[in-house]
Amino acid sequence: MNPFSYLRPTTEKEAFAALSQPDTMALAGGTTLVDLMRLEIMRPLHVVDITGLPLGKIETGVSSITIGALATNSDVAYHPDVVAKLPALADAIRAGASGQIRNMATTSGNLLQRTRCPYFRDASSPCNKRSPGSGCAALEGFTRMNAIVGTSKDCIAAHPSDMSVALVALDASVHLRSTSGERSVKVGDFYTLPANHPNVESVIQPGELVVSVEVPITPLAATSRYVKVRDRWSYAFALAAAAVALDVQGGTIKAASVVLGGVGTKPWREPAVEQALIGKPATQEVFVSAANLALATPDVRPDNAFKVGLAKRVVARALGLVAGGSK
Amino acid sequence: MPSAGCRVLAFARDWSPHSASHVEQRALRSHLRGLGADLIIVSAHQAWRIRPDDEIATLGELAARELARAHAIKREDAVIVLDYDHASIFEHRGPVVDHSQLLASLTAATEAMLMPAPTTFTRRGWMSTCLVSGFATVVLASCKQHEHRDPVPEPAVVPPPAVAHEIDIELDVNGTTHKLRIEPRVSLLDALRERLQLVGTKKGCDAGQCGACTIHINGKRVLSCLTLAATAQGKPITTIEGLAEGLGGGALHPLQTAFIAHDGMQCGFCTPGQIMSAAALIKENRAKTDDEVREQMSGNICRCGAYPNILAAIQSVRGGNAG
Repeated sequence: MNPFSYLRPTTEKEAFAALSQPDTMALAGGTTLVDLMRLEIMRPLHVVDITGLPLGKIETGVSSITIGALATNSDVAYHPDVVAKLPALADAIRAGASGQIRNMATTSGNLLQRTRCPYFRDASSPCNKRSPGSGCAALEGFTRMNAIVGTSKDCIAAHPSDMSVALVALDASVHLRSTSGERSVKVGDFYTLPANHPNVESVIQPGELVVSVEVPITPLAATSRYVKVRDRWSYAFALAAAAVALDVQGGTIKAASVVLGGVGTKPWREPAVEQALIGKPATQEVFVSAANLALATPDVRPDNAFKVGLAKRVVARALGLVAGGSK
Repeated sequence: MPSAGCRVLAFARDWSPHSASHVEQRALRSHLRGLGADLIIVSAHQAWRIRPDDEIATLGELAARELARAHAIKREDAVIVLDYDHASIFEHRGPVVDHSQLLASLTAATEAMLMPAPTTFTRRGWMSTCLVSGFATVVLASCKQHEHRDPVPEPAVVPPPAVAHEIDIELDVNGTTHKLRIEPRVSLLDALRERLQLVGTKKGCDAGQCGACTIHINGKRVLSCLTLAATAQGKPITTIEGLAEGLGGGALHPLQTAFIAHDGMQCGFCTPGQIMSAAALIKENRAKTDDEVREQMSGNICRCGAYPNILAAIQSVRGGNAG
């Protein structure tokens, strides 16, 4: 690990001052940053420990639940209001990582975690995300865990977060703060596609901090589920996952939200599937035919072509579980 | 100067931090990290202390002379390994003519150490000695290479910027407050093992994947390898050594007893992490069925595959076997 200076501010003013220096990283739970610093994939000169800031609360309002940036994944996944009102979010977080890591990892850290593409994590491989312009070893490499949508000729790294997939499905917003003010971005618009700049992964700007994530409380959200398929039963990243939500009234689907994980360079919403569901009866036949519209133009490689069929079946299964549970 | 277990003294007349490339220095640090040892290299006019995660400390010409005198070194190269009590447990003096010669003498030294005093034998002591001795050969070999190198400067290696500085921290471990001076990049795991000699917490992958380093901070199970020691200040830390505290002298925690009763281990390396994780799992009260316990314990890998017995041990303490 390269040496760095360490500061633990207790006010936002101090924190923003410290974060304005070049080559500075904010440290929260450490499960991504400490790991990548040890691998010397990330080499900040200054580390600002933001865990002294009062950003850990989870507050239930009338129309939304606001989750502080420093609320841990365990805090969120087992919060009674999250479990009752945002089940896909609780499911998704519990489907990720391990008990220990969920106790450490924070909401903002989960949002901003880096890809698990093995070539990003191997300093000896070319990687445009790590070293812009160096090339992409994954294109000709082992791609079982890589993305098949949202890819570019420069990067096919999959987005690793389960939580973010659920947040997109639940139409959540990220609240960002800097010295020049505050702004909100839908989680669906927070992440950027790799295109020819895979080193840029989201719209967050230098000097900005995630302060909270706000998730609307809706009938749709109350009947949401997250289904994840992985290479082992627990503690593995997704091969394919789906966060789905259905608002079914009188047997007819009034609203639908379908977002895929494990297949995209960012959480991947499927509007075609959603449109095919709305107005139809909530039957398994409808779910299967709608799910088959997902991933219409995938960018597959021999190692990951299986993800197309797998993801469609995951969507159909998740829809079936939601419909079954909402009765 | 606090001693971190064993110490390797390498007398290498021509060594200097500038003669060792960045890559070589990194290899040295990486070797040291796992050993519980620090390394002191003594050249003709200077001595340096190297620890895995600290800047190289210059000890001064006086220290170099004192060390050479204490170990009766004149101009020759030598490697001396000192144990916890600063007794010499291995010595090699003179240049390395042939690597196999040195290895043979190492083997003899290890055997000699084990033979006369089996009652004082500990696995950690033995492993440290073997590792340190083996490492010492690498150090000396790399020191020797520099003697024969043409004086062509290596490609410029950008030294790490001088932003690192040691900081003073206090850690509250198992009810005792410890003052430490550390670099910010030192993990809590390394601080516990190498500075506080609390070696029950194990280093498996050092990457947050195996769970061997599981401890409790604020009563919650976390990974000490992905926790910087500096961030753990002011928070109560419990390690396997402190798990049974408050139960009376010598008593084991019920999970420790259950792991023995159910034979929940084979090699035992993952066991402290398994037990710390399981103790938290029981307190969290989120897992009841066997499948739920398996899921909640998935962050603790056992390469011997003692999982059925680990599960049985946990379920016996949890008070149900609703599988």
